[in-house]
Amino acid sequence: MRARVVAAAGSAFAVALALGACSKNTGTKTDVDTERKTTGVIATDPKDSLGPAPEVPGAAKGGTFTILRETQISHLDPQRVYSFAGLMAAPLYARYLTTWKDDGKGKLTLVGDLAETPGTNVNKDCKVWEFKIKDGLKFEDGRPITSKEIAYGIARSFNPDLTGGPTYIQEWLADSAQYDTVWDFKANKGSLPPGLTTPDDKTLRFEFKTAHCDLPFAASLPATAPLPPDKDTGVNVDNQPFASGPYKITKVAPGVEVVLERNDQWDAKTDPVRHQYPDKFVWSFGTTPDAQANRMIADNGPDQSAVAFNTVPASLISRVLGDATLKSRSLLSPTPSANRLTINTQRVTDLKVRQALNYAIDRDGLIKALGGEAVASPLTTLLPPATLGFEKYDAYPAGPNGNPDKAKELLGGKEVPLVLAVRDDDLNQRLGTQLKNNLEKAGFKITVKTTPADSYLDDVKNKNNAWDIYLDSWAADWPSGAAVLPVLFDGRGIKPAGNSNTSYVNNDAINAEFDRVLAMDPAAQAPEWAKLDKKIMEEVAPAVPLYVDVSFNLHGSKAGGVFIESIFGNVSFVNAFVKQ
Amino acid sequence: MVRFLIKRILTAVLTLTAVSIVAFLMFFALPADPVTGMCPKNCNTERLERVREELGLNDPKPEQYLNYMKGIFVGRDLGSAQGGQCDAPCLGYSYVNSEAVSDTFARVLPVTLSIVIPAAIIWLVLGIGLGMVSALRKGTVLDRLSVGFSLTGASLQLYFVGAVLQLVFVYTLHILPTPGYTSIFEDPLKWAGGLVLAWWSLAFLFSAVYTRLSRAQMLETLSEDFVRTARAKGLAKGKVYGRHALRAAITPMVTIAGLDLGSALGGTVITETTFGIRGLGRTAVDAVRLGDLPTIMATVLISAFFIVLANIVVDLLYAAIDPRIRLG
Amino acid sequence: MSLSPVDDAALAEAGPRTPGDAVPEATAKEFVGRSPGQLAWARLRRDRTAIISGVTVVLFLVIALAAPLIERLYGVGPYQQFQDQLDGAGMPLGYAGGVSGEHWFGLEPQLGRDIFIRLVYGIRTSLFIAFAAAIITAGTGIVLGVVAGYLGGWVDAVIGWVIDFTLALPYLIFALAVVPTVALRFYGPRDNPPDWFKMVVIIGIFAAFGWTATARLVRGQVISLREREFVEAARASGAGLLHMAFRQLLPNIWAPILVSFSLALPAYITSEAALSFLGVGMVDPTPDFGAMIFKSIDFMQTDPAYLFFPGVAIFVLVFAFNLFGDALRDALDPKSSR
Repeated sequence: MRARVVAAAGSAFAVALALGACSKNTGTKTDVDTERKTTGVIATDPKDSLGPAPEVPGAAKGGTFTILRETQISHLDPQRVYSFAGLMAAPLYARYLTTWKDDGKGKLTLVGDLAETPGTNVNKDCKVWEFKIKDGLKFEDGRPITSKEIAYGIARSFNPDLTGGPTYIQEWLADSAQYDTVWDFKANKGSLPPGLTTPDDKTLRFEFKTAHCDLPFAASLPATAPLPPDKDTGVNVDNQPFASGPYKITKVAPGVEVVLERNDQWDAKTDPVRHQYPDKFVWSFGTTPDAQANRMIADNGPDQSAVAFNTVPASLISRVLGDATLKSRSLLSPTPSANRLTINTQRVTDLKVRQALNYAIDRDGLIKALGGEAVASPLTTLLPPATLGFEKYDAYPAGPNGNPDKAKELLGGKEVPLVLAVRDDDLNQRLGTQLKNNLEKAGFKITVKTTPADSYLDDVKNKNNAWDIYLDSWAADWPSGAAVLPVLFDGRGIKPAGNSNTSYVNNDAINAEFDRVLAMDPAAQAPEWAKLDKKIMEEVAPAVPLYVDVSFNLHGSKAGGVFIESIFGNVSFVNAFVKQ
Repeated sequence: MVRFLIKRILTAVLTLTAVSIVAFLMFFALPADPVTGMCPKNCNTERLERVREELGLNDPKPEQYLNYMKGIFVGRDLGSAQGGQCDAPCLGYSYVNSEAVSDTFARVLPVTLSIVIPAAIIWLVLGIGLGMVSALRKGTVLDRLSVGFSLTGASLQLYFVGAVLQLVFVYTLHILPTPGYTSIFEDPLKWAGGLVLAWWSLAFLFSAVYTRLSRAQMLETLSEDFVRTARAKGLAKGKVYGRHALRAAITPMVTIAGLDLGSALGGTVITETTFGIRGLGRTAVDAVRLGDLPTIMATVLISAFFIVLANIVVDLLYAAIDPRIRLG
Repeated sequence: MSLSPVDDAALAEAGPRTPGDAVPEATAKEFVGRSPGQLAWARLRRDRTAIISGVTVVLFLVIALAAPLIERLYGVGPYQQFQDQLDGAGMPLGYAGGVSGEHWFGLEPQLGRDIFIRLVYGIRTSLFIAFAAAIITAGTGIVLGVVAGYLGGWVDAVIGWVIDFTLALPYLIFALAVVPTVALRFYGPRDNPPDWFKMVVIIGIFAAFGWTATARLVRGQVISLREREFVEAARASGAGLLHMAFRQLLPNIWAPILVSFSLALPAYITSEAALSFLGVGMVDPTPDFGAMIFKSIDFMQTDPAYLFFPGVAIFVLVFAFNLFGDALRDALDPKSSR
């Protein structure tokens, strides 16, 4: 009798699972626009920086727009925002010195946001910059925004308590990586860091000791948002940022939700990019990417005006691609996050071995292991295609599955042992398995060293790390080669720890090239970076370019105006509205 | 009785102290450096060192431990980077969540309690009910079915059951809302709707032990002399089962229930992950991953506190239910 | 889920602090000339459920032991990849997750490894961990339980406190903290610990937290035996602790220990799967039951066959163990017989 119960339970379970398994899979199609090129200009005409931003077709006012995300946004304080989610949330409540006009298809224009133009290079030597502040700007309480509050915002980013944000401007002003010792914020309240002045309420002036042609770009990060000194509550600004954008934060429940409501002091006429369509934005945290995708597919009730901020998990991609009705509710776009197999050139000193790795790589198999073309798009260059002036090339053409024979030939018949370090999470262990099998076909002997995910980056950034090859990625803060190549491959700044140059390349000829290009006018740099990219790959081969991340997000049927923005490759909300 | 209670409380304090020391030592064995996690992209070693100093992570370890414990009892000043003065009971300031740990717990504890307490009621009622039914209907189809049901539950994984239930009831049939937490005081209906799947999956998995135990105890009790006597005296069936048999059967179950409840509170991480609800469990896991010492300490201490408390309550209940057991 | 991996299994046998209910030697008085073991065996043989579940368990054990042989006959290894049989999204081509004559249970999505052979090796890993953990925890539990129960006094108090302390530690949090770091202490930065080392760590975690239930069970049983005449007689004749434990006490309490052992096995299989769920169990590329089912759950909607085969296998295995443990209890303790 009891045996019958077993059989019944077992078969019910079997039937339930087998139901879905009866159709034949003949392959799914993905159409990611991998050939897309980014074009960008810095708008010198103040008219480009004027508001209001053009109306979004079909947009309507009203409604609550919900954004689902697995984990909370790490910081809301604009001076500390640096995570992708934070960078996407901040434009709703904060305005910056400069910002990007982005059509979501690769056409970018850097415009003034609080400033009338994206900065004036006063002496044409990139050492003195001036920003004129627009009229009619107001904080959420109606107070006018002047250059003083913007300067205060920059000054408070020197506060050592406020970790997490970008440090470009602080380091440039202090002319030192130890900026918080050069100028002590807490001891100098009421004054401004060296080189930063406000000659009048409408002018903000930067004076650097060395040339920094990238300032207009760096000023597009949320750290240039204004704050009146009396609203500075130190670390607590994270829970109550003071709004200058179209929305103000009315509720912060850490780990649960952030609610933004209209800021009626914001004037559309001053703002070239933002809109104020929904009554409310709600960031809702704690939903897994799986649940997000399932909710978006179900498209029920309030989820209709929601967007899944996390990308569709790899395991659900074929479900989404196979459903034609979901196409109009999905966003699919390559991002500027470039992933590479970094080669530690201190250990792998033989150029031939590094070239052999480049020939051996099976990008097609790797992308399958990641979850397919809707997760990753193959890359053969160091710069991602979203960089201004990008040129596609393949220094080691070996086909989509690699060329193990060519690799073996370069290795001269020897078996080369290498240690590959991967994080101990599920995805990276899978990639470790994939790469080991792939490279061992080409004459390498790979030891996959799994290492705790939390300490992985610190270890890789250690000059004397013990590994030969490791997975690494870089998302630049602005789409210029200057924010990628010198950061990753200039060997003169190699420190004992905390290096971004994880290949530990230090090549005099390449270093000299960096200096030459960096001294050029920002607009003229673009094609030079593309040339330098190819030169580095051919002459040094410090890494194997692997893929760029692809963003694949779903949204509800009433969520309009969302697109994958071009700088950070995440969903942007500046045009978002709820369809009525 | 009073002596017993005092003794139990003293051992409980000793246990909690030992747990706190172990949790503290464990933290320093973690690979994650809480400070580097704070500036992801471009921090340099010297700056990190200053942050570390500021947070007191460079103090001798016994001193750090004593500081933390002092905070719990009398409060302490955490410095401007950590939100300033922190009143007793100060569980510290989480530099990962940018908030006082006590605030985190005020938020996540109701979530976990909302999952565990109703689930425990269901699994107790379900388990004992099924066990009694199958004992009273021994050998019938009903007996086999209830035993089979509870064994099936015991043989499945929570994340499996949870995933299947969500797929069926939430995403396919659209009968239930997406699992999630709403405060019971805000909207009791939404509260129940968002948690009902978690309750039933937990109950399905946990009830097996109770079914098994209550069935066996019931059978044993039914065959005992006093029950037979009561029946012979002409006492009504319901009264006999209710007053005598159930009472005897329930004693050992209280023990397990107490332990289960305590452990469920400390270990809801799988339930919470499966249903995407953020309570004590997920908070603890994230804290370990990110090297968030104050949060680790607090979760370990709070879950240990519940377990120790459950143990004491069980002992007391035991004495209350079964007069044969004397505490001493 | 549970705090200690196997609490409930053993607790269902006898609640803590309940001195000796269900002492099986009472049965021996009923039939003269047959030992309780023989009696139990006779009862077990008559129980159809016990036979079926027992055979199933043995079948799994055989598969686990014969895994390398099965690999040779089947012709595909557990690490081999067949990515050419996957589509652009990394999903297996063809019917039911790529089931074919060559790949009986189809292919894993993404990496494209053969599910059948990985399942066979996965059973091996999981059963090894479960058996090792159950044996170690039973051993520790018996020793400490006998010592505490027999000696009593301050020894009992100390062991009792250690049990309380162990129960109060949240085991999942500790597993999460300890597992990733142990390897760092034993292996250099360029060596990856071998599979057996990871297994030992997991077994170690179970051993550290799983013994309390058996210890409580044994302690309770021993306390109830302590005052019996035969024990007092042995003590009066000057028997040592070892003699008392092995000759007088254990032979009388092996039945509940055996039952709790048999129920601990499926509990460890499930716990090991739960560790995988948190990312601290056995990891890729080692084939493992828990890791497999955990990964396949994500593919419930897109590749149900991937979930089906490991899911059914682990369910049948755990269910068979549970049924067998149940039948064993019934056979050993006729009072609860159906």
